[in-house]
Amino acid sequence: MSLAERALAGDRRALGRLLTLIDDDAAGAREAAARLGERTGRAWVVGVTGVPGSGKSTLVDALLGLWLAQGHSIAVVAFDPSSPISGGAVLGDRIRMAANAADEKVFVRSFSARGELGGLSRAARAAVDCFDACGFDRIVVETVGTGQSETSIAGLADTRVVVCPPGLGDDVQAIKAGSLEIADIVAVSKGDLPLAERTAREMREMVALRRRQETAWLPAVVVVSALRKTGLDALDAALDAHRDATGTRRRHGEHAPTPAAGAGDRPAPSPALDGDGWRERIAALAARDGLCATLGIAVRGGGPGRAEVAMRVDARHLNFNGGCHGGAIFALADSAFGLASNSHGPLAAGIDAHITFQAGVAAGDTLVARAVEVQRSRRIGVYRIDVVREDAGGETAVSSFTGTVYIRG
Amino acid sequence: MNKPVEPRLLADSEPARARWQREYREGVAAERAIANVSGIPIAPLYTAADRRPGGDDALGYPGQPDYTRGIYATMHRGRTWTQRQLIGLGTPADYNERLRSILARGATAVSLIPCNSVYRGYDMDSVELELLGTCGVVVNDAEHMDRCLEGVDLAEVSCAMNDPSPFTLLAFMLVAAERRGIDWKAISGTSNQSDYLSHYVANHMFYRLALPGARRVLMDHIGWCRQHVPRWNPMSVVGQHMQQAGATPAEAMAFTLSSAVQNAEDCIARGMDPDEFLPRFTFFFDISLSFFEEVAKFRAGRRIWARLARERLGASDEKSWRFKFHAQTSGVDLTRQQPLNNIARVTAQAMAGIFGGLQSLHTDAYDEAYATPGEVGARIAVATQNILREEAHLTDVIDPLGGSYYVESLTDAMEEKILAIMKTVDDAGGMYKAVESGLVQRTIGASAMRFQERVESGEQVIVGVNKYRSDDDAEHRPPVDRPDREQMQRHRDEFVAAKARRSPSAVAKALDALTRAAESDDGNVFGAVVDGARAGLSNEEICARLRRDLGFGQPLVVV
Amino acid sequence: MSDRGADFRPRVLVTKIGLDGHDRGSRIVAAACRDAGMEVIYTPPWQSIPAVVKLALEEDVDVVGISSLATDHLIVPKLMAALRDAGLGDVRVVVGGIVPDDEERSLLASGVREVFHPGSTMDEITTRIRDYAREARRARADAENET
Repeated sequence: MSLAERALAGDRRALGRLLTLIDDDAAGAREAAARLGERTGRAWVVGVTGVPGSGKSTLVDALLGLWLAQGHSIAVVAFDPSSPISGGAVLGDRIRMAANAADEKVFVRSFSARGELGGLSRAARAAVDCFDACGFDRIVVETVGTGQSETSIAGLADTRVVVCPPGLGDDVQAIKAGSLEIADIVAVSKGDLPLAERTAREMREMVALRRRQETAWLPAVVVVSALRKTGLDALDAALDAHRDATGTRRRHGEHAPTPAAGAGDRPAPSPALDGDGWRERIAALAARDGLCATLGIAVRGGGPGRAEVAMRVDARHLNFNGGCHGGAIFALADSAFGLASNSHGPLAAGIDAHITFQAGVAAGDTLVARAVEVQRSRRIGVYRIDVVREDAGGETAVSSFTGTVYIRG
Repeated sequence: MNKPVEPRLLADSEPARARWQREYREGVAAERAIANVSGIPIAPLYTAADRRPGGDDALGYPGQPDYTRGIYATMHRGRTWTQRQLIGLGTPADYNERLRSILARGATAVSLIPCNSVYRGYDMDSVELELLGTCGVVVNDAEHMDRCLEGVDLAEVSCAMNDPSPFTLLAFMLVAAERRGIDWKAISGTSNQSDYLSHYVANHMFYRLALPGARRVLMDHIGWCRQHVPRWNPMSVVGQHMQQAGATPAEAMAFTLSSAVQNAEDCIARGMDPDEFLPRFTFFFDISLSFFEEVAKFRAGRRIWARLARERLGASDEKSWRFKFHAQTSGVDLTRQQPLNNIARVTAQAMAGIFGGLQSLHTDAYDEAYATPGEVGARIAVATQNILREEAHLTDVIDPLGGSYYVESLTDAMEEKILAIMKTVDDAGGMYKAVESGLVQRTIGASAMRFQERVESGEQVIVGVNKYRSDDDAEHRPPVDRPDREQMQRHRDEFVAAKARRSPSAVAKALDALTRAAESDDGNVFGAVVDGARAGLSNEEICARLRRDLGFGQPLVVV
Repeated sequence: MSDRGADFRPRVLVTKIGLDGHDRGSRIVAAACRDAGMEVIYTPPWQSIPAVVKLALEEDVDVVGISSLATDHLIVPKLMAALRDAGLGDVRVVVGGIVPDDEERSLLASGVREVFHPGSTMDEITTRIRDYAREARRARADAENET
């Protein structure tokens, strides 16, 4: 039996090995991942993010305890940034889940950013699919959340929890703006502290101000104390309510929430993804694009709400200093943006875009832009595109792009 | 590293100074900039010009604020420091035997180190047999404590319990004393490991209860001891762990003083009067091999504390301003290679502590780096103290280094550095918040890294390890004595049997009393611990219940 | 750093089993491994043997580094047996810290690849760990190619 087959059959060692092969993008990994990709769609993915010190890992640990008591099997993808200098990382989230991580129905795997912008690595996304395929019915994706990176978990999770420690409500503009945009549930941690209730009130006010018109879901704010063990049931109920309202389909790109017909009536899981079908649609769009042809931008892959394009820098793309023209990089990122936002079908037109440049690019470099869907309602979509340069041993971050589309049709 | 340095200009006699400078420059082939561990630059020579104007007048007398020269007028001429050797090994019987021989050889106080299993809040039946008693004595209940202290007059001998929150060892000792008919008011000693903040930061083994719970229990402990065991020092603020973890001497002093301030402010917030509890605050420090730096560290610490107690904490009794400390020679300075060298190391460290004006001293044995000390090592450690005092006459003069141009200049510089570091803690909202956020841990980790780099580059020499490596001298590194397994097994079996003989309802009642105290706002958790010890509860039973109610201690790990 | 993107990124577990809590050394080693481009799972002290085995399995580590300053190395042979029982015999185990000479011999006999004594430099330790990680990966690849 191959590793993938053994993992699907419940062999935990094989699953651990498989995750490494996928993380390293080793030979045979993509094929194994594809095979597993056919079996996804059952698990419910909950994203949990919070700044260091917010009590995020302690909260996840408490949730684990609760869900284990309910009979669930849970996988945790614990995510830490890696050193931009050495590429190494200290992966320390799982130590806070020590008691529950020991349970045989829990599987915890730590990942590092591996230099990818947006905070979550390709392999972490594949890991979620692996866990889904191997039968874990709940998957927690835990990220550090330093303002920018947590927006990228949005594309990965069905339900998104942001953990906020008490007292930080005052500085909320600086730190939380990005994360509150994506929160389905705000959990105010350390609920035993005096400031917790006040922080929760402030959060509710902020949430009401940011209300997104097109979704039925108004983000819930819950106060939790892992110490006193209070608020966990309320959090669990809020999670369940969100899942019932929106299903597990956001992760797969469909965004038409159906109201729950009754308490026990959950939306059916979405059908298995056809990786190649989406790619063809995106490729067809790119084929009609004059600028892509002019600049030599080629499609490498895609999916619902996702696109990956590449471009080799040559004389066409250079500026008067001999380096790659910023406009060319913008065009590459914008192409990924357009393809990803139009991948669902309805016409999406860009109305706002912003780019930052981090590293120099020279002739001969190969640039890759990857777009992910941060948020999408009926009329508005927000996307994040990371542009990297392919080097001998890996990738270097080059540019960061965010864009908003208005959806017609 | 070897860059030319301009010797500092001195303000005294021009021709003499100029001549010295010239000869010095000619004589030193390649001058290099030297800084001590705390980062303070060290010049080749200090003269009167290096003293602060009026510095000598400000120095004052021993026993008078701000106590730079010593907290008592008589210092070691009046009463020598307490020779408090830390001991712990094996079973209570083993401990008692070692204790009695140490007391016979001149040690004047008792200190007890329990087994690591006890620190972790476990009883011996929860832990692998081979791990028991290797680093400390296995004491799990009041009866064991009684056996440990057999033949020791608890009303006369001061006892230091190395006993983190919730202070079960002290509870066991008090119950043992009670059974002997000894009045608690006669008992003296210290809760040596009451500093939960330092455990959170730097010695995780001692860290048992979650941060807020540990804070609560400490306050209860201080309050209860004040009432019931008035001669006991419930608060020992510990700088040793942090310095062992890599903090520089200035950082260790700064963080320790900040901890003391935090604990004092917590007591004040509880309604206690500073003059009630501050006289019973003691400190516990490391002494490293950076000789003069350590002397200066202690003198600066004394000065700063006197001011803090008076001005920041509002204490008006002079007893509150006195910086009393126990010191231990640094274990991380000792080497496994050429172990007998450690005797020289401990001697230098002890001297620095003595010149620094300590009140109590533990000298490490030469084999303490890799084992609990054997008989020979323990004997030499005690003899070292006796030799320094009675053969080298180090204590005939109070603060003999006082007035030294170098030592006074360095004391001033250390004071400045310590205050600067304390400010960063204040800016972070105080020591509790600073450790909660990881600021202290990051600082210490960075210093530890820097030290490691200096050792690996050879800049910091460790004799026998990175230089002078002639011979490993393995024969002076005898095979380590492990406790007798059979004896330990018997100890365990007796303990299990004793537990089974207790009344289950009495046990349950005592545990529930613990919970009630923990859950109420005005119950005294330590009082409930003492009651529990009296009812026969074991160390693990008490710790496990309080962990359940007050939270399990998971320290913030910062790499 | 030159090692980055070389052949692979070693996954290393740095931990302490048993009861002791002094972790200055293990923290420095963990940081050194990170700076050498490795992915390090770092745990606080007092991990149980079953917890270490489960962690090694889920995180698919190449090397387990045990820091032992007191007597916790005495239960390392139990850890070796537990790893083998869980199918993790290819994982390399190293021990660092204070280990008496005679006990070092029995550790090596139980399957520990190396014992690092005080005085070992970070360069030495990280280089050796990388070598052992490579060994582990090769052993794994060989075993998997046979299935």
